[in-house]
Amino acid sequence: MNNRLKVLRAERSWSQQDLADRLGVSRQSVNAIETGRYDPSLPLAFTIADLFGLPIEAIFLRDGDSE
Amino acid sequence: MEKATTPSGRSPWFWAGNYLASSAIIVVLKLTDAIPAPVAMILFLGAMGLLIPLVRAGERRNCANPVIIRYNRRFLIASFGYVLGLGIAIAVWNSYKLTSTMVFVIALLPTLPTFAMIWAMGRYLVEETDEYLRYRMVRAAIMSLGMVLAIGIFWGFLEMFELVPHIWAWWVLPVWAGGLGLAQLWMKVRGE
Repeated sequence: MNNRLKVLRAERSWSQQDLADRLGVSRQSVNAIETGRYDPSLPLAFTIADLFGLPIEAIFLRDGDSE
Repeated sequence: MEKATTPSGRSPWFWAGNYLASSAIIVVLKLTDAIPAPVAMILFLGAMGLLIPLVRAGERRNCANPVIIRYNRRFLIASFGYVLGLGIAIAVWNSYKLTSTMVFVIALLPTLPTFAMIWAMGRYLVEETDEYLRYRMVRAAIMSLGMVLAIGIFWGFLEMFELVPHIWAWWVLPVWAGGLGLAQLWMKVRGE
């Protein structure tokens, strides 16, 4: 699944570790989600959406949808 | 990034290397009959003492979270119990003629600590709050389980047709643990 996590993080000048700390997960998790190697659970997706103040579908995109 | 060192300035790799080298020397000494089994067991317990600074050095690394620290400590205590229990069981077995009940009891000495190791692994999965790390561990465990089943079945038939010697069933745990490491290495190489 594609996502805009890296762009949203860059807009706020957050490192992967900064985002991980805010989400309460490991930096490896953020890296895996950003690079599309791991799709987060719904609870974690909601936490990410809440953190950025956006709906989930504005962050996570269906395969084939462009960012 | 903070350097991963102990107060004495040693990295985890230093202690891991010392532990592996010490264990290898003890195994060679035992296999060449240079030392008797009880001495080998005592020396091995001493070598396992190197695992304490290894775990502590690992805990100082940035990547060590509290759940992994708890897992390492539980596994370390169980490992000490295993070596001690195995040593006592073999010594008693070699020294006395035992009843079936007593054999059952001494078989429990190395078995119970291995149950503690399995419990520690289970607790890690329960306590790990990071879903990605938990997913990786579960995936590695299932890959390793597949490896144990494949090797076990193949070995069983080779043994049935008398091509290979008999091996004891307790080997499933070390083979599974080795497979767990291989699976994690495989995922790392593939960038997963």
